[in-house]
Amino acid sequence: MVIVKRKELSLSERLYLPEIFRGMSMTFRAMFKPAVTRQYPEEPLPTDEVTRGQPRLATNDEDGSIRCVSCGLCEAACPAYAITIDGQDTDRNAITIAGDVTEKFIEREPKEFEIDMLRCILCGFCEEACPKDAIFMSDELELADFTRKDLIYGLDKLKRPVSTLRPRIDYIYKVNERWQASSSTR
Amino acid sequence: MDMLITIAVIVVKITCIYGGMIVIAALTTLAERKVSAWIQFRHGPNRVGPWGILQPLADGVKFIFKEELVPDSANKWMFRMAPALSAMPAMMGVAVIPFAAESPLYKDSGPLAIADLDIGVLYVLAFSGLSIYGIILGGWASNSKFSLLGAIRASAQMVSYELAMILSIMAIVVMSGSFNMTEIASLQAGPLWNWNIFSQPVAFMLFLIATFAETNRHPFDFAECEPELVGGFHTEYSSMRFALFFLGEYCAIFVMCCMTVVFFLGGFEVPFWEDAPWFIQVGAMVSKVVAFLFLFIWVRWTIPRFRFDQLMGLGWKVFLPVALVNLLITGGLVSAGIL
Repeated sequence: MVIVKRKELSLSERLYLPEIFRGMSMTFRAMFKPAVTRQYPEEPLPTDEVTRGQPRLATNDEDGSIRCVSCGLCEAACPAYAITIDGQDTDRNAITIAGDVTEKFIEREPKEFEIDMLRCILCGFCEEACPKDAIFMSDELELADFTRKDLIYGLDKLKRPVSTLRPRIDYIYKVNERWQASSSTR
Repeated sequence: MDMLITIAVIVVKITCIYGGMIVIAALTTLAERKVSAWIQFRHGPNRVGPWGILQPLADGVKFIFKEELVPDSANKWMFRMAPALSAMPAMMGVAVIPFAAESPLYKDSGPLAIADLDIGVLYVLAFSGLSIYGIILGGWASNSKFSLLGAIRASAQMVSYELAMILSIMAIVVMSGSFNMTEIASLQAGPLWNWNIFSQPVAFMLFLIATFAETNRHPFDFAECEPELVGGFHTEYSSMRFALFFLGEYCAIFVMCCMTVVFFLGGFEVPFWEDAPWFIQVGAMVSKVVAFLFLFIWVRWTIPRFRFDQLMGLGWKVFLPVALVNLLITGGLVSAGIL
């Protein structure tokens, strides 16, 4: 058996009114403190390089060409089966001298690259799988539309200049370096 | 011709005072949400109009478009009548509240009140007592246990508090020697310490606490009491009928604040300035009332709800004896010629 020792109330506490005035002064002071609520559409959520937002495809700053070579690793890595890639050949990296193509460097690029944002779980596996630094989790968080079809993002909606993704890319490199450092198990 | 002018004056008074009361009641609902938000470190409504000022209007539109549900097992006729029975007496009370000593509309038309009754105090007490019928009928006609419990609590609370409230006012009536609201207010003209709150602090506290119980406000809102009784007497109500209950509640709060101001804070009288012009007096009255409305909201968001038996014990075992002794002492002092 536990005997709970009750706190002996003082006279002013038993009279109740002084305690009411104390409480009211507390709530009155609270009225002048700033509100903690964020006014969301006007005040967007703070984001930084750690923010794992929606995946975006990086494009080179020089010519706007897409970095993706449609290898399909992200497609395979995606646990939600959200990515669909259809590739094609391209000679975008052909080496030219004085306007003449000296060596045609055949590469692949995605004809279609679709991410079903309704399926995407923002896990970032695609970002880790990518060997060409082509897909990164951006800081874009807002995802709303009127039809389901509009939420299947194609190339037009996924392309971002690599400079806008730079903080995230640097962050990923920093994190990966940590794993490459020598460890006790090696 | 005189007759016509009198009627016109009364119609204008009714329009202005009732219109003003409804507007203030609507704005009180906004203030309630704003103040509660500030106390809880929130912003409150700020989307409808500048500073959310049009929120009551948006609420009204919403209520109109809601479906009106009547429970199958309800007593339909009484169910439909109850909100009106609750709101009407609450609004009737404002008829005898004086807002200025002189009416600006027409010479010798008396104070700026819809009806300057000689038994104004009794009138307003009678109507605030009547408003309980709407709650009881609404609770009973809903045929729901929560509604019925709320109604029973409201009536029991009413009986235990009305008595202490009236006895505390009687002390003021004995001092003023009149049941006329305008006269009670006018007697407090002159310096600040002429206000009854300074000569009757005990009666003031009793009356103030009783008004919280009377208007079913926190910390005595047992009739609604969301955590225990869902919504209390208005559990089954929806749409405009619920809005009418709501409006009645806020009008009752407004009338009670007016009464407190008239009885204890000099009503329309401005301290140290007798015979102020009518608009100054109206301004003084309204600002005092608004201060009390703020107090009502402030208390609601500070004090937790009492237990029901605590309220009954407080009403019968503390307030009633204190009010009686207060009345006895006041009567003694008045008959001795001291007060």
